[in-house]
Amino acid sequence: MFTRRDFFARSLRDSTLIAMTPTLPGFLARTARAAGAAQDGRILVVVQLDGGNDGINTVVPFRDEGYARYRKAIRLPEKRLIKLNGAIGLHPAMGDAARLLESGRLAIVSGVGYPNPSRSHFRSRAIWQSARFDPREHTGLGWIGRALDGGSPSRDGAPAALLIGPDSPPPALRGRRSVSAALDRLDDYALTGEVHNAPATPADDLGQFLRRSLLDAYATADRFEAVAKGPDSQRSYPESELGRRLRLASRLIKAGLGTRVYYLEQGDYDTHGHQLARHAPLLEDLSSSLRAFLDDLAASRLADRVLVLVFSEFGRRVQENGTMGTDHGTAAPVFLAGPAVRPGLHGTYPSLTDLQDGDLKMSVDFRRVYAAILETWLGLPSRAALGGVFEPLPMLLT
Amino acid sequence: MRAHTLRLRSGDPWAPYAPDEAMPWDLRRVVHLHRRAGFAATWDELRRDLNDGPEASINRLLEGKSRSCGIPAEFAAFAARLADRALAAPAPDRLKGWWVYRMLFGPDPLTERLTLMWHNHFATGNLKVNDLGLMRRQNETLRALGRAPFGRLLHAMLRDPALLIWLDAAENTKGHPNENLARELMELFTLGIGHYSEDDVKQAARALTGWKLVGDEARFVPTRHDSGTKTILGRTGAFDAAGLAALLLNHPAASRRLAWRLCHEFFGEGVIDDRTLEALAAGLRAHDLDIGWGVATVLRSRRFFDTSNLGNRVSSPVEYAVGAARALEMFGPSPSTPVLADWCARLGQDLFDPPNVGGWPGGRAWITTRSAIGRANFAAGLVEGTPVGLPGPLDAVGLANRHDQGRNPSFFAQLLLGTATPRIPIDDAETARRDIARLLASPEAQRT
Repeated sequence: MFTRRDFFARSLRDSTLIAMTPTLPGFLARTARAAGAAQDGRILVVVQLDGGNDGINTVVPFRDEGYARYRKAIRLPEKRLIKLNGAIGLHPAMGDAARLLESGRLAIVSGVGYPNPSRSHFRSRAIWQSARFDPREHTGLGWIGRALDGGSPSRDGAPAALLIGPDSPPPALRGRRSVSAALDRLDDYALTGEVHNAPATPADDLGQFLRRSLLDAYATADRFEAVAKGPDSQRSYPESELGRRLRLASRLIKAGLGTRVYYLEQGDYDTHGHQLARHAPLLEDLSSSLRAFLDDLAASRLADRVLVLVFSEFGRRVQENGTMGTDHGTAAPVFLAGPAVRPGLHGTYPSLTDLQDGDLKMSVDFRRVYAAILETWLGLPSRAALGGVFEPLPMLLT
Repeated sequence: MRAHTLRLRSGDPWAPYAPDEAMPWDLRRVVHLHRRAGFAATWDELRRDLNDGPEASINRLLEGKSRSCGIPAEFAAFAARLADRALAAPAPDRLKGWWVYRMLFGPDPLTERLTLMWHNHFATGNLKVNDLGLMRRQNETLRALGRAPFGRLLHAMLRDPALLIWLDAAENTKGHPNENLARELMELFTLGIGHYSEDDVKQAARALTGWKLVGDEARFVPTRHDSGTKTILGRTGAFDAAGLAALLLNHPAASRRLAWRLCHEFFGEGVIDDRTLEALAAGLRAHDLDIGWGVATVLRSRRFFDTSNLGNRVSSPVEYAVGAARALEMFGPSPSTPVLADWCARLGQDLFDPPNVGGWPGGRAWITTRSAIGRANFAAGLVEGTPVGLPGPLDAVGLANRHDQGRNPSFFAQLLLGTATPRIPIDDAETARRDIARLLASPEAQRT
């Protein structure tokens, strides 16, 4: 028995690398096959607003007569909105988002959704994360994981996709070959115990999965150990979980980690009751954290490499409910942030008076947003990832 | 009675297990029984069950008598004191420790496993509920009714204060419906997605109106209840919460979901096909959705002991951590149970705080980069002792010698995995400890 470092040292010297593929960490196996294709350094950061963000009170269509009709207790007064034009305004807590817009770093796509919307958190999250509608496809791979399967491996053994948060990587990141991981704090990966490679006896599918997962984990531990020795950001971020996590993402990006997609979640958007007081601090945190993140990266001349996508599993019902909140709805705005966006409003804001079952009719299929991110930004083929051909929404500069 | 005769018919997927040449009652199956239905077992318990055969062993487990050692004389009173102190503090980590204490030291591991299963089914999180007393109470209800006909548990949950807070029930009133509870009641607790429409959710929310918390009790306030006519799942009537629950319990999809829940808990990957699941669902329907019947049927079945069901499931963090401490007889001194609970949280299973109302997905999702490292670190910490709150390192040589196994290099693999390998020489205390940690961190030890 030997330690993992011995094992890697031996494996890397071993000329029978390919023959050992099932027991190798994913990145080594792929490197061996792909022979190091040229690496695109562009990075996607996804922020999922968990619980279903009330898009109507985020990007407010204040001129739509339906707004006053359906929103009484939780209507945002027109004079407090940050007006984007004569009909649409941002929630008053989103001053930093407005500043991103002014500096050409924010695009807002209105009415993003999908046909026959589900109002289940789980089903709708699964649809957004898998880009598939058949429930049988909701236990498997995700749109990002699939797309990364089609790209080249990260050059340094880092996971291709990384959740920054306390839970497991979300289904969106799951790929057949590409490796995803999660971390919440850098020392999550400090390995104190000794590990060893199990003898390469024939293993069933679960055995192979376990062996590969463990090896991937130990390789990742080595990479983060190196990052933890580097400097932390000097810029100021909001004192929130989202702020802390974006700061960690920035630190990893600055350390040159080969990860291409970072995934973060901001929770508590499920505002069934007393929405006004709960919603504003969330949007303020989101706006300020995003601005701090992009400014931080700009100061390190890395902002040009980063695009942020902000989405939620659904918007909320147009008609407020009886508890000063809103129930689950359908289409909602999606945000894209970074220097690469075509700033401003995209798409058509759905009418608040022409509804379907009390909900907004979507105007943009979310897969067109994904297609633009994959094809235009990450340079990855989108067809297999999205299960079809979708015209990339022209919201990015390149 | 009908189900009984069904079971005797040949080809019944739930026929009981009887050892034969293909599926002998061997150490592997004894270890399997205790790891799947409890939290592993000590060497003496394994030997006893190997000797006594499956029927006696399964009966003991079902009756809460499977543990022969490590149960403190004053277990119940001491456990209650732990919970009282956690509430008085109030300290969430100590309430988590209370539950782990029950799993590690209690006489009835199967009941604790079922309590955990229901915590996953009615997944409620203290981060929102923010009341340890209510979380403890829900846990006691899940424990008390975990093997009752499911209707009793469901009715209790619909009046459970923690669950009502968790799903905004008090916000759901006549003319001001809040659909949160109605949706999860149908999607997660009874029918499963696809067996109801959006309109059913809206109508069910009306049926559930009128409940609020007064002090720590759920109270029905008639003036807040929408007593009008509703049409739910094609039935029309002035449904209230009890009427809605009865309607859902009678729906065939509910029995299927419960059968799925039991199979999810006790079987590994790819063992249960649709026909087998439907047969269990039919049995549950014939037995008033009696979970105790379902659990006994599953644990006695040939399917449960089938070779294809051995080692084909990823162990959960709680099974992994508590099982290792139990098998290694860490009873006196014992690890700190709040510290063990904290390890479980770091490995992805934070008791009383599931990731969301859907619970923990389980299976392969337990193994992530972070949890793989965490499991290796836990294994090292467990044998070292101090990282889990023990005063000193594991005395591996002493444990083996106590059972006359000091010369058996297969002892620890047999004890922990039910297999003969990997071999661990038991000469040098330090080396044996390190080898045990490596064994616990190995891919094979993550499956059960």
